[in-house]
Amino acid sequence: MKYFGLTLLAVIVAAAVAAPVVAPYEPDRSFRGLLNAPPALVHPLTLTHQLEQRYEQDLTKRVPLEWFAHGRLVSSSDERAPLLLLGSDGYGRDVFSRLLYGARLSLLVAVASAAGALLLGGLVGGIAGYAGGLLDDLLMRGSDFVIVLPAMYIALALRSAMPLVLPPAQVFALLTGIFAVVGAPFLARGIRAIVRSEKRLDYATAASSLGASHTRLLLRHLLPAARGFIGVEITMLIPAFIVAEATLSYVGLGFPDPVASWGTMLQEARTIRAFTDFPWLLSPAAAMFLLVLGLNLVVQHTGVAPVYNDTDASSRRSRTDPDAVRS
Amino acid sequence: MGQLLTRQLRSIRFVVAALSLALAGCRAAPSSNKGSNARELLVSVRTEPRNFTRLGAREEATDLVALLLHAGLVRINRTTDEVEPWLAESWSVSADERQFTIKLRPNLQFSDGHALTADDVVFSFEASYAVNDTMKVGGKPLAVKAVDEATVIVTFPQPFAPGMRLLDNLVILPRHKLESALKNGTLAKAWGVSTPPSDLVGAGPFVLASYQPGQRLVFDRNPRYWRRDARGEVLPYLDRLTLDVIPDENTQLLRMQSGETDATGSALPAESYASLKQGATAGKIRLYDLGAGLYPDMLWFNLKPGAFAGDPRASWIQRDELRQAISLAVDRKTFLDTVFLGAGVPMFGPVSPANKRWHWAGTPETPHDPERARQLLASIGITPSNPARFTIVTMKGRPSFERAVTVIRDELKKIGVTVDTAALEGNALIQEILVVRKYDAAYFNFSLSDTDPAMSPDFWTSAGSEHIWNPEQKTPAAPWEARIDELYRQQVGAVQDHERKRLFNEIQKIFVEHQPIVYFAAPRVFVASSMRVGNAAPSVVPPRLLWSPDTLTIAAPTEK
Amino acid sequence: MIGYISRRILFALVLVFAVSSASMVLARLAPGDYVTATLGAGARREQIDAERARLGLNRSFGAQYRDWLAGAVRFDFGRSMQYDRPVTDLIPESALNTGILAITALVVATLIGLPLGVVTGTRPNGVVPSAIRGVSLVLLSMPPLLTSLLLVFLAARSGWLPVGGMTSSGGGGLADVLRHMVVPVAALALPLAAMFERLQSQAMSETIGQPYVIATYGRGVPLSRVIWRDALKNALRPVASVYGLVVGTLLSGSFAVETVTAWPGIGQLMLGALRARDVYLVAGCAAAGSIFLALGTLLSDVALAWVDPRSTG
Repeated sequence: MKYFGLTLLAVIVAAAVAAPVVAPYEPDRSFRGLLNAPPALVHPLTLTHQLEQRYEQDLTKRVPLEWFAHGRLVSSSDERAPLLLLGSDGYGRDVFSRLLYGARLSLLVAVASAAGALLLGGLVGGIAGYAGGLLDDLLMRGSDFVIVLPAMYIALALRSAMPLVLPPAQVFALLTGIFAVVGAPFLARGIRAIVRSEKRLDYATAASSLGASHTRLLLRHLLPAARGFIGVEITMLIPAFIVAEATLSYVGLGFPDPVASWGTMLQEARTIRAFTDFPWLLSPAAAMFLLVLGLNLVVQHTGVAPVYNDTDASSRRSRTDPDAVRS
Repeated sequence: MGQLLTRQLRSIRFVVAALSLALAGCRAAPSSNKGSNARELLVSVRTEPRNFTRLGAREEATDLVALLLHAGLVRINRTTDEVEPWLAESWSVSADERQFTIKLRPNLQFSDGHALTADDVVFSFEASYAVNDTMKVGGKPLAVKAVDEATVIVTFPQPFAPGMRLLDNLVILPRHKLESALKNGTLAKAWGVSTPPSDLVGAGPFVLASYQPGQRLVFDRNPRYWRRDARGEVLPYLDRLTLDVIPDENTQLLRMQSGETDATGSALPAESYASLKQGATAGKIRLYDLGAGLYPDMLWFNLKPGAFAGDPRASWIQRDELRQAISLAVDRKTFLDTVFLGAGVPMFGPVSPANKRWHWAGTPETPHDPERARQLLASIGITPSNPARFTIVTMKGRPSFERAVTVIRDELKKIGVTVDTAALEGNALIQEILVVRKYDAAYFNFSLSDTDPAMSPDFWTSAGSEHIWNPEQKTPAAPWEARIDELYRQQVGAVQDHERKRLFNEIQKIFVEHQPIVYFAAPRVFVASSMRVGNAAPSVVPPRLLWSPDTLTIAAPTEK
Repeated sequence: MIGYISRRILFALVLVFAVSSASMVLARLAPGDYVTATLGAGARREQIDAERARLGLNRSFGAQYRDWLAGAVRFDFGRSMQYDRPVTDLIPESALNTGILAITALVVATLIGLPLGVVTGTRPNGVVPSAIRGVSLVLLSMPPLLTSLLLVFLAARSGWLPVGGMTSSGGGGLADVLRHMVVPVAALALPLAAMFERLQSQAMSETIGQPYVIATYGRGVPLSRVIWRDALKNALRPVASVYGLVVGTLLSGSFAVETVTAWPGIGQLMLGALRARDVYLVAGCAAAGSIFLALGTLLSDVALAWVDPRSTG
């Protein structure tokens, strides 16, 4: 299972990296007259009703595929019969291309933010759990403060301090910073709880009596005990960050149009018609699901299965050797 | 140990569940006693009203509530666009067209039984002047005098062509209730949303029965309403009108389809047309296509003198040629197709073709001519070697704005002009336009208060605050601005209709020539109601379906 | 013990004031204010100035803050400009509405998520655990706005449940409120349940790998008893630790659900106040949020202490 998860992640990352080649079109290329069009792989589409956005496949024609042209894997040579693997969005842009290009941005922001949150949260939680007492209280109340502040005001205040048009690099830095700070308290709390209890265990006292410094104890022994929790928490934070990027763009603090990202694509899909008539607009959610699935399969703890699946009582007894199981 | 755990957990769960049930119970109010065959209209609105006097800023929900609670001297019939007598039974005009002698209907009453007399009319004018300038002409108030119980003489400070039309904006407020607030100077805050419903008194078709903040307003019929229909039957036909506060557009639509809402307070965007059409074909919804709307979206540049001081773009960014080039470069068909799904009419001048009385039929239709656009740009120094780049700010969260700006950007790219877009949060945009004024160009929407241009001096004249490309000018910044000011002044005073039309056509001509605002399209307006609603004659002017709430009917619940 | 609790209460008070003060500062920094929000872009200079003077917004920030602080220590948190009512009147109503949703959602999420997490944690392979995991992952990858919209849409389609609102017109009985509660509670509870399930699953699978658990199993105790009696309590540690945070974020994160389902709670109130720059109301809502968070974290720390005695002292 673990390898399936790794393969999944590898495919997603590879698709994101290879977006300029694999995607049939630029993410901001819009096709007139094909707004919210369904997928067109073999036959091109004709518009039957403009206001109701209804299309029909033109079975007499075929989408003329051209391979390895203009540096792209596959595309259509006819502008009016584009290759829409996942249909088009409300502006007539190819959803599949935007999905791939958007993956780069969303993944980058999410991973960077998760790393930042881990760093910050691990530090705060580790120190709080280890030190205890007043420092613990202060750090935890500090992280509470961060959670309760109205994020929208912070975003608005930050936005107004910036120039009207933000270069994407600045937006990226800003988003990563904000998410790292906002996501850290969740990690901090859990890590703190784990560090606190692990601190009292035998192996910890043993290590410290052998002369391990506080830092070494924390970094080498206590924090790694939280890695299961960290793994799960990160798999929950990453989709939350991708979605939060869209929420922040609501106050103007996001990537400007027409930059594609999964979060903004989902924001545009926020209509009832996305459920009834245009389900392809929800493909970023499906992509996120695959990403989260892959992450989960990788971090999931699978070591205990062998013991518990053993129905033979005698061999069970003989196998209850802790070292054999702690893989 | 584990058993203890599960038992504790179970008891905790039980306690918490009971607690939440109890809390839910204390939120539950006793059901109001309403007959099963009461005629009730359910309306969804997006926001709550701000006050019940309509003396403050204009806002959709507040205006709607005022329509229900209050009445004015006259009313503009939204289907004919003509002034009708309302609380005023008749009026006569003096020879110099400045003095109106208005006779009130006999035996008028407020909803609490108090008589409505000329004193209340005078008071209402005083109240209006204490808070805002809507009832002023040329910046000066009208002189109002009560001659007797049922007669008022209103004198305009200068000849004002629309005449009685101005009085559609005035609601008649009860002197006996609000006089003390006027004397204390607290009138602006009077009758805020926390006022107990029994304190609210008006001459409109409904009274406020209850208000649950954040949830709904319930209006019952006013038994003392003055109006009767042609057969002498007492109005309003409805027994009850409920405004449900539903902030999300999608949820409003779903409620319409499920029958929990009979009408919405706001118009529906083109994207929802398809869902509504499905409902209409299934016979669950009545869909009205009202044709092109009156107040389209606008693109304008910051024409404040000196706004680009020190900016190398100052030589071209405020020039007429730039805007004319934009108008030539943007294909209006593409614009309509992308932004409004083809549902609308192209626009080339400041008045929508839907405003039949005032739209200048001779408005030249700017062709789609990118080549000429390029030439115009070259004439002000924009060439491939010296390209143009500017930013358009607009409001985040309005799909029509965001799509429009995308189309403009894409079309201008074809003539070598780079456009950056910045979608700002609502209030941040207002701050930028109103206070900071450092933007290059903006794409936004303004609705004027009336189809008659004389009612919107703030927009048309250079000293006005709604003269959005360069508001509140001390002296006109350009000769053409001065010319428009002059023409406007003349047409406001001109009493002959054809003379006014000629003058206003002239204004539109200047507008089209200099394009301080570039218009692209006027979208079609769609309104929907449930099948139960009868007698609706929706108009493009807000509140569209509900402009005549006293004549709306609804089929009884059993006939659904 | 008393010292611990009183220290927490003191910190909670400090948090409340810190958060509300920070909100006031941020509101000042954010572009626009209540006057520009209400009067709009076409307002006249004199109008704007007059309104500002009337509402007291033209004072320096220092003066404004001082006045507010003076009132706050007497529990007068100012008046809302939108509703012209004292902030302390507006908030308890909406907080109660949100509280009902939050508590119910929390209970439902715990009842669903914890046991499912135990199941998937102890037997990672198998059709049922994989299906549960799949559903959790789907819920975690959907943005909350979409989840609420989908649920409202399903409610409308099925016709069993009312669409939006807290009560029906003319209704208001307990049954009516409960029927309206189903969709918003589901929208809040499902992603939470997914989160609990994931955390519990991880913690569970770690715990049953521990020597004492294996030893118990090796002694012949049936598997189900090993899981539910011996392993579970220790495995509750991570969930107990995030419980407090969940309470705090439920209140602020509920605005998405409340907007879509038109539930008149504090999330919606705060969103409206933020948009309209109704500063005192925002400060009040932030203060209310911090009170809930403080209570929640206190609760979760108590739960933590009970679940894992090793963490106290």
